[in-house]
Amino acid sequence: MTLETNYSAAAEPEETESWFARNRSAIVRHSVINLFALIILLPLCWVLLMSVKSLPDAMRGDFWPKHFDFTHYTYVFHRIATLPVNLFNSIYVTAATVLITTICAVLAGYALVHIRPFGAGLIVTALLVSLYFPVRVVSIISIYETQHWLGLINNTSGLILPYITLQLAISILIMRSMFQLVPHEMFESARIDGAGHWRALWEVGLPMVRNGLVVIFIVNFVAAWGEYLLCLTLVDDEAKRTMPVVLAAAQGGQGQWSWPNLAAVYVIVVTPGIIAFTFAQKLFFKGLLEGALKG
Amino acid sequence: MTEAIAPGEIDLGARAAGGEIGLMRKGASEWLFLAPALVFFIGYQVWPIFRVLWLSFTDFQFLSSKPAHWVWLDNYAHALSDPLMWTSLMRAALFTVMFLPGTIILPLLLAILVDRVTNQRLATLYRVILLIPAVIPSTLIFVLWKWMYNYQSGPINHLLVDTFGLFTLQNAPQWLGGTALTLPSIAVMEVWWGLGYHTIFFIAGLAAIPKELPDAARIDGASEWQVFWHVTRPQLAPIMMILVVLRFGTAMAVIDEYLIFGGFNRASPTYTWTIFMYDQAFKLGLWRQGYAAAIGMIGAVAMMFVMVILLRIFRPKG
Repeated sequence: MTLETNYSAAAEPEETESWFARNRSAIVRHSVINLFALIILLPLCWVLLMSVKSLPDAMRGDFWPKHFDFTHYTYVFHRIATLPVNLFNSIYVTAATVLITTICAVLAGYALVHIRPFGAGLIVTALLVSLYFPVRVVSIISIYETQHWLGLINNTSGLILPYITLQLAISILIMRSMFQLVPHEMFESARIDGAGHWRALWEVGLPMVRNGLVVIFIVNFVAAWGEYLLCLTLVDDEAKRTMPVVLAAAQGGQGQWSWPNLAAVYVIVVTPGIIAFTFAQKLFFKGLLEGALKG
Repeated sequence: MTEAIAPGEIDLGARAAGGEIGLMRKGASEWLFLAPALVFFIGYQVWPIFRVLWLSFTDFQFLSSKPAHWVWLDNYAHALSDPLMWTSLMRAALFTVMFLPGTIILPLLLAILVDRVTNQRLATLYRVILLIPAVIPSTLIFVLWKWMYNYQSGPINHLLVDTFGLFTLQNAPQWLGGTALTLPSIAVMEVWWGLGYHTIFFIAGLAAIPKELPDAARIDGASEWQVFWHVTRPQLAPIMMILVVLRFGTAMAVIDEYLIFGGFNRASPTYTWTIFMYDQAFKLGLWRQGYAAAIGMIGAVAMMFVMVILLRIFRPKG
């Protein structure tokens, strides 16, 4: 590690002191950060290693396996009948949720800042209150009733409707603060040139709020991909459920749900999000700093 | 602030599109833009809350064929005279007390450290690692820690029993499943989960502090601790307020973790008001949803009450 390049001007370097004494604060700082990084990474490494352990190694419980076995990944797809179905359910429900919520949030965010219809202030207040009220818990009783009335109990597609609202309020508020950063005049001049609200938003607005879009994409993906309570309550059939409910119910042990198999399923479910985030992290941070902290 | 711009905008819009037609177009598109969001927000957030409030005054049972009756405050009286209601509220409060300090103080410390890393590449690497748990969906975090805490084959007990020999297989700690250790275990997991996300919040707050402020204090001879307490902390107060209130809200209303780690055992410390409500609404008897609604409203109002007090305490002065 190149600690030497990181030490700040806090400590005055003196010729007589050793390198360690001069860089003491930097060393302590990096050690503490690395300790936390290790605490965060260890559980994830444990799962990753578990998914490639041979069965006897998995039983023994040592961190580093004696024999690697990469067949668990193919095994879970071929031998656990409901797995591809559950995975597809998750992908389908999450994609629909992210897409619809993003569209709703962009349109509403734009309208709240640059159209400012009657009652915009009231809507913003309602959105803010909904962040503090335990809506998700209390509303489940009524949502069950609504879905029952719509004939959507035990229906995978039916989950999309309540999923959209999981992070809708925060998404709208993030888009709202993103659009507040775009000068009003930009939309006005676009509209003087003959563009309607739609084209002004599409051609002028969207490129300006790109970082915010990344944030609400990730926020909504995380919410929908991991949703448990609604799916558990509204869907009964194993084959119609999404991955989180299946994984939470699976007991590690022998046979098809042996620990390495379970871990392999876990890695399959977790990896796409982490990879997407790693690529988008720069935009995500920017968007987070611009949007999420203002509301 | 933007008030001054709004009237001008209407004029320009009308002129551009040509008088009356422009005004009509504006009226229609106002609602076109907000409609999709409002349909979902009202249908699945606003309506359910008012519907549950209404149900809480009835003896509605979902699976019963008999029509529901208006029972005024009977459900509330019944719930408030049930010791389980108070126990379940206290359990939620207990968990909040275990969870809240760690999830504010540790990220604050970490943010101050990461903020001082001058090497850009290392700083980015640290931020990415710290944020990884924040992009792992909730249930997958719980599933991961359910395995970590597993009595027989979890790595934590493996470390304690086989590696360090602190326990035997018979007396190893039972982390989950409704033991006394369950709430602290969940609190540790939650702190781990929120560590990076909250750190990023504080890093953003630190970045917004003008560098001259702490530098001036240092030149005046202030120690690092004094700089933190008198310069940094007041500047971070707004962010801290948002985090404390929001996390208080999440901690009091935890439900998925308790369903996964605790189940419906009434003696378990995880049987909080949320589980009590869920148990009544979807598990017991004919699904007494009127009663469950009252339990939910009591829990929600109790925590909103504390949140208002918190907001008053932490409100920035002046």
